[in-house]
Amino acid sequence: MNKKPKLLLVLDILSLVLLAVATYLSLSFAPMEVTMGNVQKVFYFHVANAWVGMLGFIAAGVAGIAYLSSGKSKWDIIEVAAVEISLVFFLIAIMLGSIWARPAWNTWWTWEPRLTTAAITEMIYLAYFMLRNGIEDPNRRARFSAVYTLIGSVSVPITFMAIRLFRTIHPVVIGSESAQAQGGFNMSPDMKVTFFFALFTFTIIFIDIFWHRIRLGVLQNKIEELKLKVME
Amino acid sequence: MSISPETTNYMIAGFVTFFLVFTVYITSMFVRWSNLKRDLLTLEELEKDKNA
Repeated sequence: MNKKPKLLLVLDILSLVLLAVATYLSLSFAPMEVTMGNVQKVFYFHVANAWVGMLGFIAAGVAGIAYLSSGKSKWDIIEVAAVEISLVFFLIAIMLGSIWARPAWNTWWTWEPRLTTAAITEMIYLAYFMLRNGIEDPNRRARFSAVYTLIGSVSVPITFMAIRLFRTIHPVVIGSESAQAQGGFNMSPDMKVTFFFALFTFTIIFIDIFWHRIRLGVLQNKIEELKLKVME
Repeated sequence: MSISPETTNYMIAGFVTFFLVFTVYITSMFVRWSNLKRDLLTLEELEKDKNA
């Protein structure tokens, strides 16, 4: 396995610094929202995690298409990496949303359109790993997974649009929201700075972890090939 | 004058949750990487022995 590229090391350091700054901005720089109190500060990380989660699921769908059209195993590695990372980020987004919902909606969870579609998306991609574990042949596994991510990626725009298309209590911060929405707020300029900085930070973190996870996948493949060679 | 609700505990819970899950995932990647590196070394030695 090649040594860690310098650019990756730079990305590691940049990610840590950006995360520290984003945390500072969220906790200290952004003003407290009057109607919700301090819990609103969770919003910056909640949206940023959901954003990279969805980004990864879409990336996995694109990698799926690339695998089906080229048959190259590198696309399968990229696809698995994207799904795994996005599952983690999306899970964090759901957990943070639930923590925010408790004081805002007086409940940890409610089956309204956004939360329901988000939970379904998370479960679709959890099942992706069950599917992979159930198939022995690597080519067949990669082909089935590619088709699955392609179909699964349909859930991403549905989740994104759920709060814009259906009557829901989930607020829409950018764009117009449903009349039933509870917990919405107008962002002040300082809040907007924090919000967009968090989005940028998590995009960089996503790229960094994605690269690491792809390297891990490449190493896994190399070991599998070596195992077969040694066993021959 | 409006008084904001006291929701600091929820904010702390949110950030702790994020850093906890994030750290666990990053640690799992480190552990998997070092395990794979060890496996690679073992397999390379086995291959050498096989060819010798």
